[in-house]
Amino acid sequence: MAENNKDLLGLTQEQMDKMFSFWTDVMKLPTIGPMYAFSKDVSSYANDFVTLGKVMAELKANMDGYWLLVNTAYTRAIKETMERAPKQLTSRDDFENYRRAAIEAFEDAFTELFASPEFSGVYGRLFSSQLDVSKAVQDIAEKNFKALNLPTRSEVDDILKDVAELKRGVRDLKRSLEIKYDQARAAT
Amino acid sequence: MTKQELRPDQTQEVQPPAEQPKEAKKEPTVAEEVKETYRKLEKAKNILHAAGDIEVGQTPHEVLEETRAYRLLHYQQMVAKTAKTPILVVYALINRSYVLDLQSDKSWVRSLLSQGFDVYLIDWKPPTAADKYVSFDDYVNCYIDDCVNTVLKKTKVDKLTLHGYCMGATMSTMYTTLHQEKVRNLAVIAPVVDTEKDTTVIGNLAKNMDVNKMVNIIGNLPAEQLYACYSALKPFKQGVNKYFNLVQNIDNDQFVGNFLRIEKWLYDTPPIAGETFRQWIGDIYQKNLFVKNELKLGSELIDLSRIKVPLLNIVADEDHLVSPQCSAPLNDVVSSTDKRLMRFHTGHVGLIASLYSQNNVLPKVGQWLKARSQ
Repeated sequence: MAENNKDLLGLTQEQMDKMFSFWTDVMKLPTIGPMYAFSKDVSSYANDFVTLGKVMAELKANMDGYWLLVNTAYTRAIKETMERAPKQLTSRDDFENYRRAAIEAFEDAFTELFASPEFSGVYGRLFSSQLDVSKAVQDIAEKNFKALNLPTRSEVDDILKDVAELKRGVRDLKRSLEIKYDQARAAT
Repeated sequence: MTKQELRPDQTQEVQPPAEQPKEAKKEPTVAEEVKETYRKLEKAKNILHAAGDIEVGQTPHEVLEETRAYRLLHYQQMVAKTAKTPILVVYALINRSYVLDLQSDKSWVRSLLSQGFDVYLIDWKPPTAADKYVSFDDYVNCYIDDCVNTVLKKTKVDKLTLHGYCMGATMSTMYTTLHQEKVRNLAVIAPVVDTEKDTTVIGNLAKNMDVNKMVNIIGNLPAEQLYACYSALKPFKQGVNKYFNLVQNIDNDQFVGNFLRIEKWLYDTPPIAGETFRQWIGDIYQKNLFVKNELKLGSELIDLSRIKVPLLNIVADEDHLVSPQCSAPLNDVVSSTDKRLMRFHTGHVGLIASLYSQNNVLPKVGQWLKARSQ
């Protein structure tokens, strides 16, 4: 989610929601009567694509915030390189010193950026937006899998969770049996 | 410091050639410089393209046990055994364990063997999508515990030295709080302990990561995400400059060999099991539960004050992955009376895989371990 809900392509969060829900409303069809099955699917797919559009808009806004910070650090690094580097490049040593100055300046600027709380926040939001896009695409794919009568990712996920818990249960049972066995052996 | 003594994670500065008498020194022309640089670039390109399999982890060993999650390695003795207590090395879940045996003259494992220790190592296998729900509880109470039992059975002793690196050090510490009866000594290298005191870029990025969303949507942490984090660590001094240095030193076979081995390790990054990563970032980095004694593995609470065994905590002053301020507090929270903090002026990888470590770190570590391994 973009910071303070103010920078979503120049729109507020509320404006953005209204813009996307407008399309959802337009595509609504009667959900009773003979159109029921058709309208249910159309509406569901329409919602998925509207959601995808919305999260991509948010990704774009967060990406802009990210590149703004990166470009600021880049500009600072270039400026400092110019200040630190030899003014004339006439010998091999000059080129070498230029390289060292550039590496130092870029290292300082970008390390300071990456270690800043501001970057951490922006990077966290960008990463979250990327995940939202992945989720929106996954939701569409899941629907298609269901339509083909194939197991979906979330269904497989539930099974994996059960298997992991079962494995832990078996491990604990095995351990408690071993302890009891050892105790019985010690007693005899 | 000579070129060969530089740490692998340190910028490999090129030493200037010895000063030549002025009359004998002929400055190359610009055309000659360009030609020479072009030749070096071509050679670097060919070497990188033909690099293929780089030999690492060459110290002779047998695979004692192999499961879906790990391989338990037992290294062949190099000298007569001088310490009764075996050492089980617990590697991290980040990158691969062969960094502890990268090349013969910089091998942590080989040095311990040459000091007469019996060395075992847990080589974690990359998790698959099916391992999304594998947690620290599984790693600590199942996998590490199984390995400990196997080593104890094989060596016919009742306790061993648990020796962890980085995330493996944190897991070794967790294990010791729960299964202390099987641990004679706990020797940890750069453990992640008090993350509120961590000053690294990794710690900063972790603070705002929506880890629950990531695990729910993606599952295991993909390698690409780890690369993104690595690229933020010393991005130019190491990320860019090292390639300049490679081209400049392309005719130095030893330099190129060292470079390729480290480069192979840096980019040999398996994913991390989703649930484990959720706990690592959410519970340890964001909530700092580990040092507060509030972290739970399954139904068991990790209480660091339960640790009473001898503790050796090895940290690096220039560690930019786990800052020493994050590792050092372990010594303050355990109940051990025999505890030592060793600080070395090096980096995270330099601590374990460098000539500096061979000459300065390992003799002291070996001495400490030997005194407590009879």
